[in-house]
Amino acid sequence: MSTFLTVNPGDQPVWVNTSNCKACDICVSVCPSGVLSMVYEVTSTLGATIAIEHPESCIGCNECELSCPDFAIYVADKKEYKEAGFSFAKLTDEAKARQVAIAANNYYSIEQGAR
Amino acid sequence: MAFNYEKYLRIQKMPTLWCWGCGDGVILKAFVRAIEKMGIKQDDVCVISGIGCSGRFSSYVDFNTIHTTHGRTVAYATGVKLARPDKVVVCVAGDGDALAIGGNHTIHGCRRNIDITMIVINNFIYGLTNAQTSPTTPQGMWTVTQKIGNIDPTFDTCELAIASGASFVARETMLDPKKLEKILIKALEHKGFSMMEVLSNCHINLGRKNKMVSAMENLEWIDNITTSKKKYDAMTEEEQLNLFPLGILKQDLEVREYCDMYKDVIDAHQGKRAKITQDDFKKKI
Repeated sequence: MSTFLTVNPGDQPVWVNTSNCKACDICVSVCPSGVLSMVYEVTSTLGATIAIEHPESCIGCNECELSCPDFAIYVADKKEYKEAGFSFAKLTDEAKARQVAIAANNYYSIEQGAR
Repeated sequence: MAFNYEKYLRIQKMPTLWCWGCGDGVILKAFVRAIEKMGIKQDDVCVISGIGCSGRFSSYVDFNTIHTTHGRTVAYATGVKLARPDKVVVCVAGDGDALAIGGNHTIHGCRRNIDITMIVINNFIYGLTNAQTSPTTPQGMWTVTQKIGNIDPTFDTCELAIASGASFVARETMLDPKKLEKILIKALEHKGFSMMEVLSNCHINLGRKNKMVSAMENLEWIDNITTSKKKYDAMTEEEQLNLFPLGILKQDLEVREYCDMYKDVIDAHQGKRAKITQDDFKKKI
């Protein structure tokens, strides 16, 4: 059964299992760097699901994984990720501004428009 | 590779039956991470839960589990702990389970100071049965049973536990999972009754008529009614009104644990020691 998706699907800092996502917005609200946002999804109960739009900005703080009540989102282990030759990004002003914009857009993806 | 949840959870029961954004899932996650961090074997943990949304807790974790009758978690846990004092016994109850129907069991568990960790998930309402007034519902809120506004005075779980004699009392919210995990480890490590109140959200039943329709709105409200213990202690009495302090509120390492005292009873019966007198206890009656 693929309820959890704890194995990294290919050198990603953060990855999601959208079949677990119930679209509660919590992970998007706790992200400091605007990595995550909600996108429309007709098959979901609330009509939305989680998407990773800017993985290059992920700082690896783990807040989204810990705050997800439904085991839908996973962050790479810091030590393991470094050993594999990758590193998490630093928090930039651009990423912070994007997070503020996503929050103001009802946690929805900016590219998709207002809710 | 992320944290290995498969090891500690029953995959066949997933996904959880809780509503979107429910704090119970965050607490479940913090709990299994705390167990992993402490390095306790799965067979050495017993999780006992009652009835309510929090009652699902024991179905999801892959430890020794009991899903018991309404409010009787502490009664069952006392039995388990006395039979196997070497095991880690954890009770999970909601605010209705622990304070309303199981109120008596809770206060007597606290009084005995038996080595149980009790996690009370407080969402301020009877969530499973659709928004009836619970002992912790704030005054003035809409509920199904009091549609004009709740007039019942509110219970403070931590004050109740301190007054009843629990030796470890802490309060946290599900807003800060990292801190929740840290305090949970301290509660599990403590020898004696540990009361751990976790404030959680129920935007479905508490929020729908109280202007908190989404999970985020409900969590903001919880953020507004809580403050750290340090800040709380510096406040005047008027500012403290309607605020909950967070963190460890009481930790007593002096008072004796119940299983330890019960060992004396066994020894006295076997003739290994003299009868128990008042001098055996540091606290006087």
